[in-house]
Amino acid sequence: MAWFVAAAAAAAAAVSPAASQDLSVEIHGFAEFGAAARVRHDPIQPDDILMSEARFRLELAHFTDRAEFAFKSDFTADGLTDAVEVDVRQAAIILTPASWLDVEAGRQILTWGTGDLLFLNDLFPKDFVSFFVGRDDEYLKAPATAARLTFYSSLVNLDFVATPVFEPDRSITGERLSFFDPGTGSLESATSMGGPLTPSSPARELGNGELATRLFRRVGGYELALYGYRGFTKQPLAFDPVADMPAYSGLNSYGASVRGSFAGGIAHAETALYDGEDDAGDDPNIPNSQFRGLVGYERELAPDFTGGLQYYAEHILDHKRLLTASPNPMFEPSETRHLITTRLTYRLLRQTLTASLFAFVSPNDEDAHLRPSLSYVWSDALTVAAGANVMMGGDATFFGQFERSSNVYLRARYSF
Amino acid sequence: MKRTLTRLGPAFFGLAVLGAHAGAQDLTDVDEIIARANAAAYYAGEDGRAHVRMTITDASERSRVREFTILRRDVDEGGDQDYAVLFSRPADLRNTLFLVNKHVEGDDDRWLYLPSLDLVRRISAGDKRTSFVGSHFLYEDVSGRRIAEDRHELLETTATHYVVKNTPLDSDGQEFEWWTVRIDKKTFVPTTMEYVDDTGEVYRRIEALEVQNVDGIPTVTTMRASDLRSGGNTVSEFTDIEYGLGIPADVFTERTMRNPPRRWFPGR
Repeated sequence: MAWFVAAAAAAAAAVSPAASQDLSVEIHGFAEFGAAARVRHDPIQPDDILMSEARFRLELAHFTDRAEFAFKSDFTADGLTDAVEVDVRQAAIILTPASWLDVEAGRQILTWGTGDLLFLNDLFPKDFVSFFVGRDDEYLKAPATAARLTFYSSLVNLDFVATPVFEPDRSITGERLSFFDPGTGSLESATSMGGPLTPSSPARELGNGELATRLFRRVGGYELALYGYRGFTKQPLAFDPVADMPAYSGLNSYGASVRGSFAGGIAHAETALYDGEDDAGDDPNIPNSQFRGLVGYERELAPDFTGGLQYYAEHILDHKRLLTASPNPMFEPSETRHLITTRLTYRLLRQTLTASLFAFVSPNDEDAHLRPSLSYVWSDALTVAAGANVMMGGDATFFGQFERSSNVYLRARYSF
Repeated sequence: MKRTLTRLGPAFFGLAVLGAHAGAQDLTDVDEIIARANAAAYYAGEDGRAHVRMTITDASERSRVREFTILRRDVDEGGDQDYAVLFSRPADLRNTLFLVNKHVEGDDDRWLYLPSLDLVRRISAGDKRTSFVGSHFLYEDVSGRRIAEDRHELLETTATHYVVKNTPLDSDGQEFEWWTVRIDKKTFVPTTMEYVDDTGEVYRRIEALEVQNVDGIPTVTTMRASDLRSGGNTVSEFTDIEYGLGIPADVFTERTMRNPPRRWFPGR
């Protein structure tokens, strides 16, 4: 971390000489109230309310001739925990030290890949609690403290993201959302376990950081990319028998994607090979390697009405050995999880009212997640959104375990 | 008629200019009039920049404002073009960047960058006759309608204007039966466009409310699109208009979406 702070400080000193006295700062942000309630009681959760929060977003930006300083933070009064939480989503210096190089160093949101709400090569942190309880889509992405260097050339461009301290997903802990525990064969929550799940994180050593790279270029109207990642599974999918806790195991990932126009719409395809630590596939405490594939297509079906369709597969390598070694083979995931997603978006009243339905359906695991929503732009400043998260399936399925967290939500946001 | 792979539109975004001087004689060849109006409307200099303020007013007089900086670069004179639009208002669109690689043959390539997600979204070329960011202007008004999509007739030559009727060769794909355009005889700037439905009624009008001389180039600086059925309209005002800036091609790429260069977006 020290090298990183030193580098950022040196960069800041280089680009803002003392002579520059322009202290003008752009200030923006919003105030938002959000509430969500379960539609069915969950006997192992204390509250039927899933979200009740007042959120204040502050965004500051300062520009010099050579650099931009950006700060973006949420201050949230959470009615469920009675706590005020500060979530710094961006605190970064952005500069172009050479015509062929862009740098963003600091806390930031990072995204790449072609999937729509599906991530193969994007191994930057996500927040699945926000995703299921009805916060705005932007909160599916969680910030990371990282340095991003992007090198540009006429042949190919290269992204290089170094995250010195491993930044896992904000995953399910049993608070708000109950989850299925294959160890006990039943649904568990922070209440049922006597406390939230606290996965053991890798030691904070130089070797335990994350490196993500992307080589990308355009060929005609097609965007081609190759990806590489070295780090850990972003979810605590391993089990640490010593600590008796879920843990993160090592992960290398390699992938490719293509996106371009096709038959009046946009087509995309992406693959990734997740090369895990369990090379033989016979250690039940460490997730096996996986192959992931995605194809998708989106197009306008009528004016202001857009439809999208994706097919996604997660294939576990050495699945037979996993089943043989597993203490709970009946709860292990199927060898291949097939998933189909659809997105329908209809904009009415001069695009002030947006009706949307996003659906995930797995035909072989027989689970689903539906996300209907309506949002209305009352004025340039005020937007109101209402919707639902409906999760269905057996307790041991990915979406089914959250069935009793199915909810309806309402949000109002005033931006400035 | 020779197939002209260029476009004609209402000279959106204040980048309309005079292509060539008309001369003393009235033109009678409608294809030449249309070609000159198209050059005047969409291919001013080699590139251009403008700050745009759009005021969208609905029938109940509620108004919304969009502000953005637009850059345009001609890849080929009269041919492919690149556009980059960086929004500064309203708050929820701030720093959103819309990028278009416009092709005279084949579909345009369009992207939208959403800063809150650091997400580069590809958007389908799709139906060009949908509203541009909720305004009364359509995407097709922004990037222009291909000349070859319509049959053109010179209806009238007045003391100041040519009046041309344009009828789509393919009746599918648009909501109008035909449209007329009044083209200034001296500058070739399209000044009024009217869209007619299947009952013969004019239901939509675009007007150049103000034309100013920018660097010797007659340029539309205020224009209005009106929905004559519902009563709403959008007024676009163009300021800080500049031509011939020498904007390089690589400004119109993913790099600009993530990190818009202040040199080309000075308001940032």
